[in-house]
Amino acid sequence: MFRFIAFRILQFPLILAIIYVGTFLLCWVAPGDPFQRTERPLPPQVAESLRRQYHAETWYGFLVYYPIKMIQGDFGPSFNFPGRSVGQIIKDTLPVSATVGLIAMLIAVIVGTFIGTLAAVYRSRAPDWISLTVALVGVSLPSFVVAALLRALFAFEWDWFPVGSWTWSPKEMVLPAVALSLLPMAYVARLTRVSMIDTLSSDYIRTARAKGVGRLKVIFKHALRNAVLPVLSYIGPATAITMTGSFVVETVFQLPGMGDFFVRSVEARDQTMILGVVMIYSSMLLALNLLTDIGYTFVDPRISVS
Amino acid sequence: MKLSRLILATFFTVGWASITLRAADKADFIFVNRGDIGTLDPNRMSWMQDIRIGYALWEGLYALDPDTLDPIPGAAEKIEQSEDNLTYTFHLRENGRWSNGDPVTVDNFIFAWKRMLEEPGDYTYLLFYIKGARAYSEAFEKDPKSAKWENVSVRAPDPRTLIVTLDNPTPFFPDICAFPPMFPLNQKTLEKFKHFDQATGRTTYDAAFATPPNLVTNGPFMLTRWQLKVGQTLTKNPYYWDKQHVVSNTIESLVFDDPLLALQRYERGDVDWLAETSGDIAAQLRDAGRKDVRIFPSFGTYFYSFNCQPTLPGGRKNPFADMRVRQALTMAIDKRPIVRNVTKLGEEITSLYVPPTFPTYKRPTGLAYDVAKSKQLLADAGYPDGKGFPTLKLIFNTEFNDHKLIAEIMSRQWKQKLNINIELDGLEIKQFQTRLHGKDYDIARASWYGDYNDVSTFTDKYRSDSLNNDSGWINADYDKLLDQALKETDAQKRLDLLSKAEQILVTEVPILPLYHYVNKYVMRDNVKGIPLNPRNMVVFKKVTAGR
Repeated sequence: MFRFIAFRILQFPLILAIIYVGTFLLCWVAPGDPFQRTERPLPPQVAESLRRQYHAETWYGFLVYYPIKMIQGDFGPSFNFPGRSVGQIIKDTLPVSATVGLIAMLIAVIVGTFIGTLAAVYRSRAPDWISLTVALVGVSLPSFVVAALLRALFAFEWDWFPVGSWTWSPKEMVLPAVALSLLPMAYVARLTRVSMIDTLSSDYIRTARAKGVGRLKVIFKHALRNAVLPVLSYIGPATAITMTGSFVVETVFQLPGMGDFFVRSVEARDQTMILGVVMIYSSMLLALNLLTDIGYTFVDPRISVS
Repeated sequence: MKLSRLILATFFTVGWASITLRAADKADFIFVNRGDIGTLDPNRMSWMQDIRIGYALWEGLYALDPDTLDPIPGAAEKIEQSEDNLTYTFHLRENGRWSNGDPVTVDNFIFAWKRMLEEPGDYTYLLFYIKGARAYSEAFEKDPKSAKWENVSVRAPDPRTLIVTLDNPTPFFPDICAFPPMFPLNQKTLEKFKHFDQATGRTTYDAAFATPPNLVTNGPFMLTRWQLKVGQTLTKNPYYWDKQHVVSNTIESLVFDDPLLALQRYERGDVDWLAETSGDIAAQLRDAGRKDVRIFPSFGTYFYSFNCQPTLPGGRKNPFADMRVRQALTMAIDKRPIVRNVTKLGEEITSLYVPPTFPTYKRPTGLAYDVAKSKQLLADAGYPDGKGFPTLKLIFNTEFNDHKLIAEIMSRQWKQKLNINIELDGLEIKQFQTRLHGKDYDIARASWYGDYNDVSTFTDKYRSDSLNNDSGWINADYDKLLDQALKETDAQKRLDLLSKAEQILVTEVPILPLYHYVNKYVMRDNVKGIPLNPRNMVVFKKVTAGR
């Protein structure tokens, strides 16, 4: 187990380096000047001076300069927000996205598993159809529709929740967390249902029931534990995605989160920012995948990580 | 069991947090800025929203009058101008103080200006009116060690006197002195952010100096909070020399990416002023008879740019090299549907380039809408009824749908009236900028906003050697008139020269002017101190919500 974890962690730098180089190449070949922040052209000496300040005079200079800095925890200054460094922007925005994302994942996992279980237990009956419909709606409705709808009803119409301010109050997190949770919730519900139906028809469940174990206990203690395995493999990457924020949800609710920068930094060709958010996201994805693999062994001791 | 406990604990925490986290005390004046601040380093401020905050935090040698936006003495209390208008002697206020209590001295200005020339930004060119400034900046770019600062005509005989000599009489120099690139910096407070590169001889400053609590400014307000993507809090500067005339104690500037959300906060009474709203929202509010939406002329023009170089990209023959073709395409356009159906805010359609902001400026006569004449001109140029005219492309940026709608109207009119095919090519903004500035287009959407309060901020763009001239149009008479204007000391004669220059421009039409922009404020009646000025600037000194 220890060897496995150590081996996986040792792979991280290599994977991250490949992602870094790939992202860098895409940034560098994309047309458009990152220093051009307004509609008017920059005088050549200004452009030259800025390139020097950002170590972006040559592609190889840029490629080599930032990884060394990144290892020291410095992602360099943002091209588009020259008043801030990328590290500072991430430090300010990631906690917001991570908090809202984590709440969203909690909602998604708890409600999703519950709906999925309910659907499996009452297979082909009303609860099944209802939960399937909910899941289908969750998967197919784009987040900008859900988020805008939630905002229009609960903020604009009824004024229950504040939007457009950020003071770390839980009330401000409710709507964005719900909007973010719908998609993973739908996935979790569907995965749980399929896996649960499979598990409920297995011999050991029948045996347990025959031996007189209570229905609820069989479902939640015996069946769910096994059925949750496929869900677990989904939760890892989904958590990384949700916790790094969503452009749409953050725009609709005006959250000071990081998701925004996945889109805006590309639009602005803010190369240091693009590299910063990509590296954070990749690191989280790698870490959460590892955690998921370790998590398997706890849920089902028969699985060995190695 | 464990799960239920967890849920219970979460509820308790959330409940407790909601009680303890009360909203902070409301600021005296709250407004929604155009977007998030990019930087508050005067060297690199270029976005409207940055400059707006800049005016609240700093004060140049001249400041802008809060009502008229005319330059008035700012950090300098007395200013003498030589007879030939070339030399300005600034006497600094004795009671001028930085927000940390330090006295404002001429060194602070010299330091900031020198830095602006050595580490140039978007607006460094505005300092080039000072004698020797351009040469110094260029020399420093080549070799920092051999550049001679003594050659720049900025002298400080004593800590409170600054003498500046210009190359030419520049009637708008006071206006430039009030603009962010000329703001002073307190070098003492920047010291710990300094990086000096021994090898190159260049000095750079860490951007953190321009964030709170590090930023020290000399204007009516100081920056006490800057929360990324949320907003800034400005607090009255206790050391400001004229603090008794600063009306609000705190000002909050908010960021909203979605104009609808900003409007909702305004409707709830959380916000006093929306410094900008979308065209659609402004039109809807106006149609609903709302008096708090203020739509008024702006300091900018929307136009199309023709590529006037001898050949088009790829070496294709360029019909626009012939002036008659440009005139034909210009006269064929009925501009009314654009403002009526697309922009909808009563913008003034125009055949001119310079907006109607200057009362003593004689506006030239542009080309009127005249289809018959337009057809004739096209035929004269060798394309009777559009025969033989190549299919050309019109590029525009796609982040605002209006650009596309306008392009469709234009292209349809050209097809209907002149029987020529202009294809639309929507581009993402960065690609669009590269193509436009690289003159890699046939026809392009374009616009221009003035930087300072003078006609030359518009006319300079089409000088043949201007970096901003992305049409490739060259006219020696035009350049000559601008040169004459540069030397002219009589204000009215100077304006007349510029008017003659604009007459050439709107006759030869390297650009096809469409309409003058408008500003769109949503502002409560009781708000005071925000002038409805085309330049869309505010000096926050007198601003009050009147709540």
